[in-house]
Amino acid sequence: MSDRGFTGVVDVKPSLPMRQDVSAPTVVSTATGLVSGFFEWFGNLGIFSWRVLTAAFTPPYEWRELIRQLDEVGSKSMPLVLLAGAAIGVVISLEARYSLSRFGAKSMFPATLVYSVIQVMGPIITGLVVCGRVGAGIGAELASMKVSEQIDAIEASAINPFRLLAATRIVACILMLPLLTVAADASGLFTGWFAQALVEPLSFHQFISAGFSGATFSAFLPQTFKTAVYGLIIGLIACFQGMNTRGGAEGVGRAATNSVVLGSLFLILADVVLVKFILVFFP
Amino acid sequence: MSRIARLGAFIFVTLALLAAGVFEIGSKEYLFRSTYQLKAQFDNVAGLAEGADVQVGGVHSGMVRSIELPHKPGDKVTVVMDLNHSTHEIIKQDSVASIETEGVLGNQFVAISFGSAGQAEVKDGETLESAPPLVLSDLFKKTSGILDSSQKAIDNATLATAHLNSVSAKIDSGQGTVGELVNDKQLYTNLEQTTATMHDTMLQAQTGVTDFQENMEALKHNFFLSGYFKKRGYEDSSDLVADRIAALPPGTPLKVFTYRTRELFEARDSAKIKNQKSLKAGGDFLAQNQFGFAVVVVSTGMDGDTQKDLVLTEARAMVIREYLVENFGFDDSQLKTLGMGKQTGANQDADWGSIQILIYPTGSVIPADKPASVVTSSAAGVETPVQVTAAAHQKQ
Repeated sequence: MSDRGFTGVVDVKPSLPMRQDVSAPTVVSTATGLVSGFFEWFGNLGIFSWRVLTAAFTPPYEWRELIRQLDEVGSKSMPLVLLAGAAIGVVISLEARYSLSRFGAKSMFPATLVYSVIQVMGPIITGLVVCGRVGAGIGAELASMKVSEQIDAIEASAINPFRLLAATRIVACILMLPLLTVAADASGLFTGWFAQALVEPLSFHQFISAGFSGATFSAFLPQTFKTAVYGLIIGLIACFQGMNTRGGAEGVGRAATNSVVLGSLFLILADVVLVKFILVFFP
Repeated sequence: MSRIARLGAFIFVTLALLAAGVFEIGSKEYLFRSTYQLKAQFDNVAGLAEGADVQVGGVHSGMVRSIELPHKPGDKVTVVMDLNHSTHEIIKQDSVASIETEGVLGNQFVAISFGSAGQAEVKDGETLESAPPLVLSDLFKKTSGILDSSQKAIDNATLATAHLNSVSAKIDSGQGTVGELVNDKQLYTNLEQTTATMHDTMLQAQTGVTDFQENMEALKHNFFLSGYFKKRGYEDSSDLVADRIAALPPGTPLKVFTYRTRELFEARDSAKIKNQKSLKAGGDFLAQNQFGFAVVVVSTGMDGDTQKDLVLTEARAMVIREYLVENFGFDDSQLKTLGMGKQTGANQDADWGSIQILIYPTGSVIPADKPASVVTSSAAGVETPVQVTAAAHQKQ
């Protein structure tokens, strides 16, 4: 069953328009092709997701590979995420100080920084940075395995490539993204405080105490754990693009690019839905 | 570093950060501390939000759990608060919850006042008394009212100033009574003339007084009145103080003449001399010898009024002095008088008292005159003549 499905997925054309242009004589057929290509892509993504899901929740579990991927996605992304978070913290600190002093609400500075870093900037920046690093890596890795027929070889040795390659990477992304977000938040808060403390004396304890005054779990925890959804999107899109690529080196490059571009795009689109979702369910 | 160790470190660090955040928020939400619930009802919560601070005595001690709208009109909005257990001893039945604002535009929070010492403690879930929140628009309404009344007050003040201005203008131009007073030169001239007249009157009055004195003097010598003065022994009371001294001088007298008053004066209460001849020895001694100064010392016995006897002794001393000065030739500035009043002890005559003429040698310092205003003799003045009298007796 899985073998047939796998070949079926591989046979599907990539959804990108430039592939369609070659055999598009009229505008109508081009448009029809675009629309059908778009839906085909989603259909294949759905089938792919289902295969990964069934593979992930049925034994045997690939613990070794999972740990390798956790390390790859989590620990190795840590420096990058910390740096990005630190930069964001400084930027928000500078901007907030300027804006707040214009309105005479300087005392709100800690809360402003805490809320904007933890609720908005931390998750989205972590998602985008990880998408760039991990998404491109997964896309390129799987695509090169695909074009060099390593995936076929794995399959031939009676190992489910969805379980071994895709599920482990996607689960690693889902598990690691929230933790990376926490790291980015911490880094951002620290540098934000530091940038403020350079200008005006403000102890870190005071800053944290004022920043979290009136804080509730519903304000921060859903915002942090929604990044698990980011992780799902990043991993799923990258694995799908990587395992469905065609052609040689060109296909590998295309898979890497698409992983990042589509991953970032869906991540931001998903955020729109998630924010609304959190506002409704975690008032 | 092995892959697993690296992964473990990463997970450990990030989970620790997450835990720190959770505890930070949890402490604000009072999830990890035992709390109890209190309610308060308000007509209007002025924008209070769930999760807002609850302060007891200005200390962050809880948070607003929920805010419930009433089920029917006329009921109040209920604010449910979670409070830290440490506040349980402070908040009593009479504590009052009020909604306040940090600054003018800051966050809303619920402030709960301390209860009174004697009141019962609140129970979990109980409803506190509440004070209506200060709504900014109400404040503006009140302020506007105050501004209106201030405007009226200023208008009134302006009116009053205008009146004052008109009044002072009238004064300046000489209208009205005050205007006349201020502006009329005639009034000033009149006043000056009056003062001059008054001065003349005073001079005349002075002359009148002098005349009156002379008349009085003449009256003393008048047939009808002279008897009184004769009987008294002297005419002018002001002479009594002319030559008297305050106290006897230190040192031993050169010579002492002692007389019994009964022999020299006509009556117990009179200063009229009857037996002048007996003073001759003393007068001759004064006229013929060189001396520093002499004092006529007079005292009475213990009978009678102290004040009257003091005046009487002064008068007798003065009369004797006058007699001596008139009848014997010596420098009258050298003879002083001293009325001792009542004296006990060494008096030769317990009732009438005695008279002494103490004569001091050349070079003795004449004692200061007794001020006219001093009426009673001092304690020192009482004691000294007793000594002197004793000394006189020794010599005799």
